[in-house]
Amino acid sequence: MAVETQQSKVGYPEGRAFERFLRWRKQLGALWGTLFFLSTLIGMVVLVVLVADIVDGAFGYVALEYRVDPESLVLDYHKNQMVSMPKTLPSEEDVVLVDGIAQRPAAIGFVGYAYYQQKADSVRVLSVDGVLPDEATVAEGRYPLARPLFLYADAKTLASKAEAALFVGEYLRRVDEVAASVGYFPAGESVRTENLAAWTRASGLSGESLPVAQGELSVTGSSTVAPITQRVADSLVADNRFVGQVQVESIGTDAGFRRFCADLGVDLVDASRPMQSVERAACLQLGRAPIEFQIANDGLPVIVSSQNEFVRELTRAQLQQIFTSATRWNEIDPSWPDQDIFRFIPGVDSGTLDFFVTALFGSSLAEQSTPVLLDILTSNISAGRLRALEAQRPLAELSKTELVERIETEVLRPQVAASWSLTDSLLRRTEIEAAAAAMPGTALIFKSWVNWEFLTSPQSSDPLHAGVRTAIFGSLLVTLVAFLLAVPLGIAAAIYLEEYSSGKSWFDRVVETNINNLAGVPSIIYGMLGLAVFVRFLGPLTSGLAFGVGDPSTANGRTIVSAGLTLGLLVLPLVIINGREAIRAVPRGIREGSFGLGATRWQTVWSHVLPNAITGILTGVILAVSRAFGETAPLIVVGASTFVVVDPNGLFAKFTSLPVQIYQWTSRPQPEFQHLAAAAIVVLLLLLVSLNALAIWLRNRYSRRVI
Amino acid sequence: MSISLAVSSSSSIESPQARIAVESRNLRVFYGKFMAVRDINLQVEECKITALIGPSGCGKSTVLRAFNRMNDLVPVARTEGEILFQGKNIYDPDVDAVEVRRRVGMVFQKPNPFPKSIYENIAWGARINGFKGDMDQLVEESLRGAALWDEVKDKLKQSGYSLSGGQQQRLCIARTIAVKPDIILMDEPCSALDPIATLRIEELMRELVNQYTIIIVTHNMQQAARVADYTAFFMVDDTRTGYLVEYGRSDQIFMRPKDKRTEDYITGRFG
Repeated sequence: MAVETQQSKVGYPEGRAFERFLRWRKQLGALWGTLFFLSTLIGMVVLVVLVADIVDGAFGYVALEYRVDPESLVLDYHKNQMVSMPKTLPSEEDVVLVDGIAQRPAAIGFVGYAYYQQKADSVRVLSVDGVLPDEATVAEGRYPLARPLFLYADAKTLASKAEAALFVGEYLRRVDEVAASVGYFPAGESVRTENLAAWTRASGLSGESLPVAQGELSVTGSSTVAPITQRVADSLVADNRFVGQVQVESIGTDAGFRRFCADLGVDLVDASRPMQSVERAACLQLGRAPIEFQIANDGLPVIVSSQNEFVRELTRAQLQQIFTSATRWNEIDPSWPDQDIFRFIPGVDSGTLDFFVTALFGSSLAEQSTPVLLDILTSNISAGRLRALEAQRPLAELSKTELVERIETEVLRPQVAASWSLTDSLLRRTEIEAAAAAMPGTALIFKSWVNWEFLTSPQSSDPLHAGVRTAIFGSLLVTLVAFLLAVPLGIAAAIYLEEYSSGKSWFDRVVETNINNLAGVPSIIYGMLGLAVFVRFLGPLTSGLAFGVGDPSTANGRTIVSAGLTLGLLVLPLVIINGREAIRAVPRGIREGSFGLGATRWQTVWSHVLPNAITGILTGVILAVSRAFGETAPLIVVGASTFVVVDPNGLFAKFTSLPVQIYQWTSRPQPEFQHLAAAAIVVLLLLLVSLNALAIWLRNRYSRRVI
Repeated sequence: MSISLAVSSSSSIESPQARIAVESRNLRVFYGKFMAVRDINLQVEECKITALIGPSGCGKSTVLRAFNRMNDLVPVARTEGEILFQGKNIYDPDVDAVEVRRRVGMVFQKPNPFPKSIYENIAWGARINGFKGDMDQLVEESLRGAALWDEVKDKLKQSGYSLSGGQQQRLCIARTIAVKPDIILMDEPCSALDPIATLRIEELMRELVNQYTIIIVTHNMQQAARVADYTAFFMVDDTRTGYLVEYGRSDQIFMRPKDKRTEDYITGRFG
């Protein structure tokens, strides 16, 4: 009995061996499962990395370098306006200005506060926007023509360089007095206390009696502040509180900060505006922690002669009018006398004039009025360019934002000085800001390389204005031609091969073999076929000359039609093979049922086979369209133009396509074009995804209706 | 050869008055070089049910499909001999197979309604055959004829696939009778159905036979005995070619078979 049982189970594992076998089998299954999962994971990771890489290039910081600085563009425009007004007397000497105004009842002007004070009996100061300049209104910034002035030092220099620390200490104590003598307003007691506290913290010095400073100092920066610094230095040297030399340069605030944050040889900076965060970042990069001391306030009094009886106060708008457009007083206010306005202004190179203009008109383009913007635009471009712009769209019709855009592209003409990827932009922000601050005349902006302008602009050699408009049109048209060729032919061929052909005749067999092999032919071969057949042999047809619609520049046949036909042939096997699969998948019973009712082959195909196969056929169509849309190599062989700036005007136009455009951009060495390529890839992918989504939606909608 | 001739003569002797709906003469069907059936001579009487029985591979379905030229759809199939229908050989070169199929309808082994609504399943066949009458009436008439009307009259817009297997098969029958054929061929119509659905189809066949000539292929001998007026027994020879062994009234074939092979088969000795 036992023997029998043994025998009946011979060959199968028993007991522990059976358990081992089960365990081994389970482990093997788990191993394969893990392998499948890992494969999926690798695929996903690759996909994510790919998308991330593209997105990384399509967004990020860009340092723009303007050919013309926008602020000086605005400033120069208004200064020019002021200087070119009639009866305007510019002078470098404030005394001359004050005297001139004092003598003429119809005169108006502005000078440093100190000069007004000297002649306070013969001139009268006007309130602007209802505010008179005095220590309080200027310090609080209520007076419109006021700004604070600064001295910048840094913690390390103050701590380690005794002469700098001593100089700043003395400076802060003496500056109120000096500032008043130069024509500025003192910053006030509380500011002074704060300044001294900050100085003590940084230098470790305090007390009234400081030792004599010895050494050399270099101060640079604003020409507005330089006189104060110079006078403080002179008085210190004269009092023997400082032995050595203090070199004071006026190179402007911007340049001053740039030097300070790039060169350790500069000890202090004079500044007529606070330091910006990007400049601070650049300083920190150098190891300098800037310390700000507000040393005075600048407030420009607008004065008239004390003989003037009618003007007491003015608004900013009236001031703008007086200095840039009106010629007679009664134009400003009808109750004022019909007299010429005499204007006394500082010379064009004076910081005072710059400050006046900036305070009155603002410094950015966005602050300017539409007529001013229009004037700035027209006066800064050539007559020919102006005519071209007017032909595009009359400039008078443009809105303010559009005008600003036009000025940017036509006049400022920014260029990319440097660009960064999205990852860098997010992770290394301070470094980027510092690097940008070190580049003179640049503005750092966060740029999405994919933007509306990119989509709507044609190709351009200027990366800031290059777009994919022509490429999108080219791609869509080429794909449309390919679609119109491949889809009807492909579906028809699929129906023939599945429903009509017996598959037995030599013709059917040859066709069958060819189609299956054609699907595997490299796309470049199709390009050569297209070049030989459509471009060369059928050139007269594909260039449109045979129909009398061709354009001489496309007489060589390198047109949208040639490209579309080539891509159509390329994707034809895809449509046929997928169509045949779909048709074959229609159950035989449906066909038999149809034939059994006395339906003809055509009726069977039309009413039953096609509706049931349409989902699969459309899947093939979607694949084919996606393939055609993304194909590059055959288009290059057929002769895509790499630089087309006009939209294709029909099927016989020269063409480019998105992939060709991307290829062309990636092959250029400048980094900006790599960003453009990334942006174009984003556009290509989005277009593909939306085309597919549309097709899938249509397919699902249609297949629902059939069942 | 001699057997076939004998059978053929015997059947005409048994029903000398009967009108013949369709008749095969020396029918041979080839698939490529392979002869599937040979020398079939069969006279099918009008408004009767004729069952074709026999073991698997004996060519009974091939013979059935020869009656409406369905074999033409198989690219390698070739037919020799004649099938006389209304006095005309349907394999004559001037005869259109499509026209034959419209006159000789077919119900298949697996229910194969179209993936359309119940209404459309019936209306489509009529429409492609140029029907110009009242379609609603035709649909109702056909569904009533197939004993399906009461079950589906409230859901004519629903898909034919929503029905049960038996209902689907009756829908296929309704679809077939909607084009008003003269003959209905049924290729094992109940083999995919449960016994209750089978019974309903059998009842339906008995009703339909008042108007239509029915030829049915079945594996189920009880079914042939229950529903068929006449039965033809096929067998397969050493070269796997099918041939007709015996043909006669069903009671005779099942009660008093003349041929030893028929007797062996119906008593379950082989097959």
